[in-house]
Amino acid sequence: MLPENITAVVARNERWTGQAASEPHEAGWAREAIIFVRAMKEPIGEQPKARIEISPDGIYWIGEGSEFALPAEKDSIATARISHFGNWLRVRADFGDGAESTVLVTIHLKA
Amino acid sequence: MTDSSVRSDMAEAMRIAMLRANPKLSRFDPLPRIICHDEFSRGHCGWSQLVGNYENDIGTMLPGYAQHTSAMLSTLAHWDAGSHGGHDSSYALKIATRPKKGAQNVAIKRLTFRKRCPIRLEFYFTFKPEATELKLSESDVRSVGFLFDLQGGDRDDDSQRVMPHIRFLNALEGEHVQKWQFKRHNAEFTPIGTSRKTLSHYHLSPEGWEDIPGGAQRLCYNEIPTKVNWTYLRFDFDLASMQALSFQCNDRAFDMSGFDSIRIPAMKNLWCMLNIALFAETDTDKRVFLYVDSVCISGDF
Repeated sequence: MLPENITAVVARNERWTGQAASEPHEAGWAREAIIFVRAMKEPIGEQPKARIEISPDGIYWIGEGSEFALPAEKDSIATARISHFGNWLRVRADFGDGAESTVLVTIHLKA
Repeated sequence: MTDSSVRSDMAEAMRIAMLRANPKLSRFDPLPRIICHDEFSRGHCGWSQLVGNYENDIGTMLPGYAQHTSAMLSTLAHWDAGSHGGHDSSYALKIATRPKKGAQNVAIKRLTFRKRCPIRLEFYFTFKPEATELKLSESDVRSVGFLFDLQGGDRDDDSQRVMPHIRFLNALEGEHVQKWQFKRHNAEFTPIGTSRKTLSHYHLSPEGWEDIPGGAQRLCYNEIPTKVNWTYLRFDFDLASMQALSFQCNDRAFDMSGFDSIRIPAMKNLWCMLNIALFAETDTDKRVFLYVDSVCISGDF
C-alpha cells in the first residue's frame, strides 16, 4: 500500500492579528510535514516571523524551533519543513499593533 | 422451492457467513454490495473538508462553511491517559470544531450512485469536548450527526435534491438534552458572486430541527472527558422513493414514519449524487470532537 499523505487546510482566508495561531492539527501518523502560508490579501504593517509549535496534548504549546518570515506581499508564500514533531502541530505568529495578514495555511503530511 | 430460490438462499447464507467470519466486517450488517468500508488506519478514505461555494473571491463563502477545517486521523490522545485508540486500530477520523460557541465542522465523502436502491450507512462513533477542564463536561458538545446529499439521475422524472439530516442533540445552552432530531426545512439559498451560476445554503444552521418521535436516548458517556466508548449507528434510506427506511443507534430503533428530508428542486449539475457528511457542533467556547471508526456504506444492487 502506498504511504498515506494528505493536504490539510487548517486556516483559510483567516485574518490574523495580535497573537494568532492555526487550529491544532493531530498528525502523529506522519513522519514529515511541510507547512505553507500564503498571504491572500496585501499584508499590512510589519510582518512577524511565524513559528512552528508542538504540543503534548493539543492544549499546551511550545516552539518546535522552526521559524520563518511570513509572506511580505499578496500571493507570496512562506514555508517550513518539519520532520520530528510527535502528534500535534500548529503555526503561530504574533503581530504587532496595526499589523495583519489574511492567510491560507496548509499542512502537507506524509507517512 | 425452486432451484433458483434455493441457490439464492444459499448465496445469502454464504454471504452472511463470510461477513460474520470477517473480523473487520462482522460488526456491520451491510446490504449485499459494500460501496465503501472505511477504516482510518488506512488513511482518510476520502473523508474531506466540506468547503463552501465561492466565486472570484474566497470571501464570498458563507460563514457557516468558512469555519470548516480538515478532518484528522487521531489516536484520541489525551493529556491524562495518553492515546485512547480507535475501535479496531490505533486510528479514528476526528472532526474538530473551533473553540467558539455554536461552531461546527463537517467531513464529507462525495460519491455518485449507479442504481436507485436501498442504501445503508453504518458507523461507530463517539464524541467529547477538548479536555481543558477537570470536569465531566457532558453538556459541552451541542450535537453530532450525519446527512446525505442526494439527487436522482438526469433522465428521472422525479429528480429532486434530497438531503436527509439527523443529529443527536446532546446539549443546548448548557442543558443536557440527549435526543435525536431531523431537519426538513431548508435554509434559503444565497447567490454567490455575480455570474448566476453558483448558489449556496448553510443547511446545518441551528434553525428548523425537529424531534424524532421517541428519540430521547441516553448514550454511554464515560465519566471524565478523556474516556470514550464507541456507539453503533445505522441509517437506511431508499434512493428509489427518496424516503428514510430505518434508523438505529445501539439497542434502539426509532420510528421514522414522520421523518422527512430537506427537498429542493434538482440542481443542474448534481445528477446521481451520493454525498455522506458527518458533523460536530459545540455548545460552549470549547473545541468538541466527533470521532468515527469505522464507516460502512452499502447498497442493495
